[in-house]
Amino acid sequence: MFSDLSLPFLSSGLLLLIAGAIACAPRFQLRSPRRIALGFLGLALLLFLAAFLKIQSQDEKIYLDPLLPWLETDTVDGLPLVVFTLVAIISVCLAPRRDVRGSSLSGILLLVTGTTLVYTSAHWVTLNLGWWLTCVPFVTGMFGPSEDRKHTSIALVASALMLTIATALLHASQVASLSTISRGSLVFFLLAVVMRKGLFPLHSWTLRAFESGPLLPKSLLFNSHLGAMLVARAESSHLPDFAHQVLYGLSLLALVTALITSLRGLTEKKPRRLMGLVCISQASFILSGLLASNSAGIMGGMLHWMVVALASTGLIAVVRILEVRVIDVADPTAHLGLAVRAPRLATFFLLSGLALVGLPGTLGYCAEDLLFHGVQDHHPVMGVFLLIATALNAINLMRLYSVLFLGVLPKNVIEIPDALPRERWPLTLVVMILIAGGLFPSLPISLRNKAVKTFHLSAPDSSHHE
Amino acid sequence: MNATALFFVILGLPLATFLLLGISWMLGFSAGEKCIGRTIKTIYSLMFLAFLALSWMLYQDADHSIEIHLGQWFVLDHYEYPMAFQWDAVTMPFAGLTIILSGIVGSFSITYLHRDPGFLRFFLLLVLFSFGALLVFTASSLDLLIAGWELVGITSVMLISFFQYRPEPVRNALRVFATYRVADLFILVSVFLAHQWFGAADWARFREIALDAGVAGVSPAMMTIFPILIVFAASGKSAQGPFCGWLARAMEGPTPSSAIFYGAISVHAGPYLLLRAEPLIRQSPLATGLLCFIGLTTAVLNTMMQRSSSDAKTSLAYASQTQLGIIFVEISLGWHTLALIHVMGHAIVRAMQFLRSPSMLSDYHRLHSGAGGELRATGAHYDRIVPDRWQRILYCFTLFRGFHDALWDRLLIRPMFLIVRLVEKIELSPSKNKTPRRAGTSSPELPVRAKRETI
Repeated sequence: MFSDLSLPFLSSGLLLLIAGAIACAPRFQLRSPRRIALGFLGLALLLFLAAFLKIQSQDEKIYLDPLLPWLETDTVDGLPLVVFTLVAIISVCLAPRRDVRGSSLSGILLLVTGTTLVYTSAHWVTLNLGWWLTCVPFVTGMFGPSEDRKHTSIALVASALMLTIATALLHASQVASLSTISRGSLVFFLLAVVMRKGLFPLHSWTLRAFESGPLLPKSLLFNSHLGAMLVARAESSHLPDFAHQVLYGLSLLALVTALITSLRGLTEKKPRRLMGLVCISQASFILSGLLASNSAGIMGGMLHWMVVALASTGLIAVVRILEVRVIDVADPTAHLGLAVRAPRLATFFLLSGLALVGLPGTLGYCAEDLLFHGVQDHHPVMGVFLLIATALNAINLMRLYSVLFLGVLPKNVIEIPDALPRERWPLTLVVMILIAGGLFPSLPISLRNKAVKTFHLSAPDSSHHE
Repeated sequence: MNATALFFVILGLPLATFLLLGISWMLGFSAGEKCIGRTIKTIYSLMFLAFLALSWMLYQDADHSIEIHLGQWFVLDHYEYPMAFQWDAVTMPFAGLTIILSGIVGSFSITYLHRDPGFLRFFLLLVLFSFGALLVFTASSLDLLIAGWELVGITSVMLISFFQYRPEPVRNALRVFATYRVADLFILVSVFLAHQWFGAADWARFREIALDAGVAGVSPAMMTIFPILIVFAASGKSAQGPFCGWLARAMEGPTPSSAIFYGAISVHAGPYLLLRAEPLIRQSPLATGLLCFIGLTTAVLNTMMQRSSSDAKTSLAYASQTQLGIIFVEISLGWHTLALIHVMGHAIVRAMQFLRSPSMLSDYHRLHSGAGGELRATGAHYDRIVPDRWQRILYCFTLFRGFHDALWDRLLIRPMFLIVRLVEKIELSPSKNKTPRRAGTSSPELPVRAKRETI
């Protein structure tokens, strides 16, 4: 059905997002900006879904936008784009009222626009434009005052600058593709990835971003996984041999990040920081999988990408929902015992968290199973470290759960509502996707198969791993 | 009905019940106690009937083993995750115990937890546990077993912290969870190594390799490391050897859950794994010796601790560990049938003892009067055999649980925290941990009544 249509899905989706960002701006003083934003995001989601189905239903691997030829979507970025837009919708739905006033919604839509531009870029210009655009809401303070604004802005701008330098170097040497990339350019590419992804030892800014300020925009920034997308694009193109060696180093760095952040979580007490450490650690698994050079690892990395996006959104949203209900959540001095008053929020938190660390029966389990097999094939000793990291993350998550939801309810918490319908339905959707994906993983795997084949063909040692 | 359909009933009913009750509750619809009670009784009755039918089929089967293939969970190029199950002489007693005892405990709990705020939560966890345990006992490979293994672990922890408004259960649940995760690392590593070294992780492959290790290209080192990992994984689940400290902590949960988890089913998952991997364990003298040593030392230590324990449930927990230690020794000596009978007998008796433990005083008085007031305490002969000085030393030793927790803290937890502090120091952070605590963020005097319009 979709092969007969030649609508400009991507450019229309982008225009809708830009229009949404303008419409939600404070100067228009809309009565219900959340609904307007959800409307625009919903339409964009449908368009991106149509573009994705178009790739899936036809033999071609790339859908080129007929209106703006600098935009394209392929098997690698098609599904992540859909999932990211869905995550944005869920985040807007779940955001407390105080977080969707003023320019916050405009900022979120701008962030989604920038991320979409990066995902769908068919040219270095759009890639850079999108990358810089994702920095704008944080640099200009669209989400309100925040202690971490300076550090977040520096990290984001530095990352964008690295990418611009890398592409400028590529352009200067008149290189058309990544297959003849120079060493200098590759170094800047990697720096852009390390900074954006928050890999050790540059992970502190991500942690600090989690610690203060608005959580849900940070969740979207974190879940855009632009660093992983850049690596995925590099891995799916024919890189020179030295680049593969450098990327191997990057995968080791991701493993080190996963292990160190999981260890750091053991002594962390503040819920936001602890949650940030768990999310950073689990997100580092994605790079390890993508760079595993075998189909199991790459598929594991791609599925884990979806799991991290959905599950961490659920986790972060529940923490934010609790923060606006009980002030002690920001820095609890003892167990808060909120499960008595908010059992559904406790359940959503637990299920999302356990899916993130690979509970059997959820998509997280299948993703981690594939990922661990892939990474162990690639470098066995580091694979064991990954297992240790996930075990520690599970302990950290349980600590966080017990601090927030178990124990004696403080006397000052008199009455708080459990999940409101507006919160209940999106959170149920998140949990349902994670569980359905875990019970029937063949569907998500089949949706990512084409993308894995793109990688596998370009991997230098693809034959002997299977 | 064929074997596959019957198997679907056994494995699918608890999962379907969990999903149905859980999702409807999440969306805001909650079933009443009567509805939940009837559902529980119905599903366990149906599972029991299916179990009987499947066991009859097994009895009539020439090979005394029914293979059930439900296709592949997922496939990726050459990597497959088979949904293959096995119903044989080892599976049947364990699965039967799970169904019958979970049904009895479920039925008991309908009255025991009447009007408890966690009524639904308990039954959700019970059916999820049943699903996990049945997955463990019917899986024909380590891959599938792990899925059930983890589910059993997480439901166990959730039930330890069932009385979440008390600090002790919460603290102990976290400690048990951490122990589980450390122990689970052994089984996770073993499954990945099995794939790399043996090419597969199913029981049939283990038997093949045990019969002809040289032909399969398996080195002696592999034949030693793999069984040792399995022994430690089983020790973690059955609270043996280095992991023997968690079972007493797990007694914080409601009595029916203690009966099913720590008396009957969960702790016996360790011996089950050992019975399945036994052909490989037998090939390694080191692993066999380790298994025997772990079982023996745990049995001796726990029988002493049981005698110094002051409350009924903890005493039963130590008694369980003692019997499990003996079962480990039996398996290490190759006495499988005896071990299997021991597991069955122990599970049934211990579950009954746990369920009767709230009425222990009443039972004791009844027994006392039944014996004509001549009921003596057991173990009086120890007083005669062991010198006074040693009795005092042993009493102190057992009061501190053999210094087990202190050793763990000193040898594992403290060094790990030292490493973490070191990592904190080398972390590049512009202003780490310098965020001032906002004034009034945690004022106990300030009543927090959340306003709906702001959330």
